[in-house]
Amino acid sequence: MPSAAELAWLIPVLPLLGACLSGLGLISFNRTVNRLRKPVALLLITSVGAAAVLSFAVLAEQLGGAAPVEVLFNWASAGSFNLQMGFRVDALGAVMLCLVTTVALLVMVYSDGYMAHDKGYVRFFTYLALFSSSMLGLVISPNLLEIYVFWELVGMCSYLLVGFWYDRDGAANAAQKAFVVNRVGDFGLLLGILGLFWATGSFGFEQIGSGLQQAVADGSVSNGVAILLCLLVFMGPMAKSAQFPLHVWLPDAMEGPTPISALIHAATMVAAGVFLVARLQPLYEAFPAVNLVIAVVGTITLFLGASIALTQMDLKKGLAYSTVSQLGYMMLAMGCGAPVAGMFHLVTHAFFKAMLFLGSGSVIHAMEEVVGHEPVLAQDMRLMGGLRRSMPITSTTFLIGCVAISGIPPLAGFWSKDEILGQAFGSFPVLWAVGFITAGMTAFYMFRLYFLTFEGNFRGGDTELQAQLLAAAGKTVGSDAAHNDHHKANLPHESGWQMAMPLAVLAVPSVLIGLLGTPWNSRFAALVDPHEYAHMAKEFSWAEFLPLAGASVAISLAGISLAAFAYLLHKLDLAQAVAARFPRINAFLANKWYLDAINDKLFVQGSRKLAKSVLDVDSKVVDGVVNLTGLLTLGSGEGLKYFETGRAQFYALIVFGGVIGLVVLFGSLG
Amino acid sequence: MAFPWLSAAILFPIGAALLIPFVPDKGDGKQVRWFALGVALTTFLITVGGYLNGYDPAQEGLQLVERVQWLPELGLAWSVGADGLSMPLILLTSFITSLACLAAWPVSFKPKLFYFLLLAMDGGQIAVFAVQDMLLFFLAWELELLPVYLLLAIWGGKKRQYAATKFIIYTAGSSLFILIVGLAMAFYGGNTSFEYSVLMAKEFGTKFQLLCYAGLLIAFGVKLPIVPLHTWLPDAHGEATAPVHMLLAGILLKMGGYALLRFNVQLLPAAHAQFAPLLVVLGVVNIIYAALTSFAQRNLKRKIAYSSISHMGFVLIGIGSFSALGTSGAMLQMISHGLIGASLFFLVGATYDRTHTLQLDEMGGIGQKMRKMFALWTICSLASLALPGMSGFVSELMIFVGFSTSEAYTLSFRIVMAVLAAIGVILTPVYLLSMLREIFYGRENTELTSHTHLVDAEPREIYVISCLLVPIIGIGLYPRLVTDTYRASIEALVVRESLALKELPLPPAGGELIRQQLLKAPLLPA
Repeated sequence: MPSAAELAWLIPVLPLLGACLSGLGLISFNRTVNRLRKPVALLLITSVGAAAVLSFAVLAEQLGGAAPVEVLFNWASAGSFNLQMGFRVDALGAVMLCLVTTVALLVMVYSDGYMAHDKGYVRFFTYLALFSSSMLGLVISPNLLEIYVFWELVGMCSYLLVGFWYDRDGAANAAQKAFVVNRVGDFGLLLGILGLFWATGSFGFEQIGSGLQQAVADGSVSNGVAILLCLLVFMGPMAKSAQFPLHVWLPDAMEGPTPISALIHAATMVAAGVFLVARLQPLYEAFPAVNLVIAVVGTITLFLGASIALTQMDLKKGLAYSTVSQLGYMMLAMGCGAPVAGMFHLVTHAFFKAMLFLGSGSVIHAMEEVVGHEPVLAQDMRLMGGLRRSMPITSTTFLIGCVAISGIPPLAGFWSKDEILGQAFGSFPVLWAVGFITAGMTAFYMFRLYFLTFEGNFRGGDTELQAQLLAAAGKTVGSDAAHNDHHKANLPHESGWQMAMPLAVLAVPSVLIGLLGTPWNSRFAALVDPHEYAHMAKEFSWAEFLPLAGASVAISLAGISLAAFAYLLHKLDLAQAVAARFPRINAFLANKWYLDAINDKLFVQGSRKLAKSVLDVDSKVVDGVVNLTGLLTLGSGEGLKYFETGRAQFYALIVFGGVIGLVVLFGSLG
Repeated sequence: MAFPWLSAAILFPIGAALLIPFVPDKGDGKQVRWFALGVALTTFLITVGGYLNGYDPAQEGLQLVERVQWLPELGLAWSVGADGLSMPLILLTSFITSLACLAAWPVSFKPKLFYFLLLAMDGGQIAVFAVQDMLLFFLAWELELLPVYLLLAIWGGKKRQYAATKFIIYTAGSSLFILIVGLAMAFYGGNTSFEYSVLMAKEFGTKFQLLCYAGLLIAFGVKLPIVPLHTWLPDAHGEATAPVHMLLAGILLKMGGYALLRFNVQLLPAAHAQFAPLLVVLGVVNIIYAALTSFAQRNLKRKIAYSSISHMGFVLIGIGSFSALGTSGAMLQMISHGLIGASLFFLVGATYDRTHTLQLDEMGGIGQKMRKMFALWTICSLASLALPGMSGFVSELMIFVGFSTSEAYTLSFRIVMAVLAAIGVILTPVYLLSMLREIFYGRENTELTSHTHLVDAEPREIYVISCLLVPIIGIGLYPRLVTDTYRASIEALVVRESLALKELPLPPAGGELIRQQLLKAPLLPA
């Protein structure tokens, strides 16, 4: 009987088959398939579930100490070149497989409740299965080229899912922005892959790493070029994992349905960049300059995300910027040469952030009953408040998520974030300081979200405020909301079991999984990188750990207290105390560092103008010359009429003259 | 004697087309279309039969050879055959033409003439790829122009006369070069013959080769098209009906690429060694220039037409790459674009039938009324922007890898060209996705929906697109399905051009530098 690892190719193939089946059904028998909601959902959930079972079997084998498995075949070949594809299962991949299938499965169950009344229910599940398949394929890719293939496919799924509600202008723009910004990153990634293949003749991770070092050592590739290639490849992760300045697509991507925000834009796809950097450690560890760039980019990103999150009033956007910030932490870990710490944060973050997003979805779902299907209203925290009383499960799990992300022991976020900060303290103290302060900001903005949403009094009935918000968003009252008026409720209600169950399940790892990564006995490190495990256990000392950990906890508690004073107890009016006193800073943050405006001016308008002028050149100059010659020959043709009897002779004459001319020419050339 | 598969594939559709006047038809095309579809499918089966029975993909040389003396005093023989360069394109031609017949289903204006021309074109285009004689090639090349001219001039849009005239002047004018160069090559040296095999064995002088190359480059550059010889294409595409469109984009453009490989590379390798950097530069110009014009274009048909030009730029880079992988990628890009281009143009036609406008400003939000159409458009656009899993990605990747690892160019040249070509990777989704955005996304355009009846895709349309998507996705998943059919021929061709490259006369500064000097003054050495 083959081992689970040998069957690992089935893990992405199973959901793919399901997605193909329902996709073909949708195109060929649209009405019938759209009516078969539950059977299709069940089929797709089963396919992902089977993939999950297989993934855990693979993980169990890896825990038992099985060797990595790699299977390759020749995919394309010409001359002496062979491009290989296949799959590879190792400990890192096994962890990711389990993570992706678990979150995907829970999100699918959740979606059954969240999308229950959507007319695109079947299409949504098809996309979900397609995404799961692509993401699982990415995880088991054995080389850079195959990673690139799945990298694009997850990008496509993200495009389709962000633009799921395609009649909304916001969603349509966001989908396009997400795809194009990611393509900018892929531009670098593709060139980097090509360059590395030129330099090392391989696409494999280890071969590239050793090959490039070899090439630099024997002088066939200069150090500068090698660093350039590494940085080009890094552009891919920058876009996918929303690192500054390519993070601009992620907050906009919140226009997609909330289960998508949880699965793709918090837990899995956006982490693919971090995962790729971890895979490329054999390459990056030889070039300290590259690591420095990665660390700095990560630090800028983590600070930027947190600073913008401070002022967000949209619940999902607030969470989105917090994701940007946390991805920055992971990238910082990679830059510090601590991939294990980064990957560990990836895992813990995936669980608690997915839970937070699903919680926000539960809130939005409940809010929609009160304010209608208008994202501007349903997601704005100014209209929420007091939801703890009506939504106990959602509020409890959300609170657990907030505590976890703020880094309060023993919840998951504390261990992973503290490990990163500890590594940064050793490598780049300045970057540590930024990360440390940001940890306090994180605790503040997360609890600000929590208090505004779940504490105080419910403000959703305030029609005057609703009108103000709609006006600020440039929409008129009753555009989308109007036809939902008849079934409005007065107070939001807790969501059904399909939505509550995944929240409760995710709360378990959010609390406990951090204990697998305690610095003195990190079982996560033992699995992924045994050398690192031994190193960590040897280096660990309470005298170093306690002050740093204590400081982190202290700054987090400070952030939480500030949030509590301002938003729970209302002892402090931050709008008066800070925002009014520093209007510039407030405007800077509220406008998201003006990056969207700059992008729009520079790239969107710029490229439009350039394209317009090229088209003008094409139609006026290039085609103008053609039309002019056409006119002239027409004129000369008219003239020739008097000497010749028709076009055919003229044509023959030219041919004849041409041949004579050539013969004479060749005669003289010899 | 073996069955003459290729002659049958050429002559059967033309012969059957001559019978069309006798097909009983009430004049609305309802009978004749079945006849035409049957003929086109039979032709497709003949080509498939030839491929299965007489073609061995492992061999590099000419197969399925048929040779009959025709006009011995002129040295003219009916000589057809197929190698790796022509066989895939012959199959593509008969395949796309069958689908074009299906796409022409609603044609009701002079249907007999329409299908007559469609079938005549089928035979003519197969002949272009199959003949092994330069005079025959010229005849077939010219023969296929006439149907296109008439199809444009009779069934085209508002500016059809202008577009058709422009098309015929451009292509007929440029094809003069083919005749002149053909005559010159045939009479060169002692042995007068137009056959490729004889021409290949001749030792042409370098200057002669360069002159011939330049002439042929103009002739085929119009067809491919190469910027700035492209301006016939947006007009012709802008006015053509959907089936003609499919043939123009699916097959006609490939004649240019095929001819470049067949004549410029195979017959004139020494000149190719000198000209290749120019091809690469022109390819990059094609990619970026046409992507930008496509982005700014507001007319849907012309937008897709420009995107075709952009995609053909990759073919040029592949041909100029001097690597088996890159050249193989160029061949695959032609096949892949034949399929993807045909599918997109078919969709443009199907959409126009419903909206009666091609202006993007007059559309918007129609995705809600036409969900299946929306899905088909999305899939085909993703294929066109080279999404992995579909054929366009594989061919572009092969060209990228082949070119960037090519030994023929200096590193700096390769870097600059690869970076510029990769900008196309960003620009293509920009124009394709914003196109989708403007047609389907957002709020419904009430002005459009109030006076048109938007029905969703019908089974015939879904069937046509599915037929195109099966090979597109098949190649994307496992490209060797197709690349193995022509691999041997391409490798032989690359060996031939690489030998010529080694004998390239070196300027004093050394072999590596010449590629850059060529860049600055690429045409004639002093």
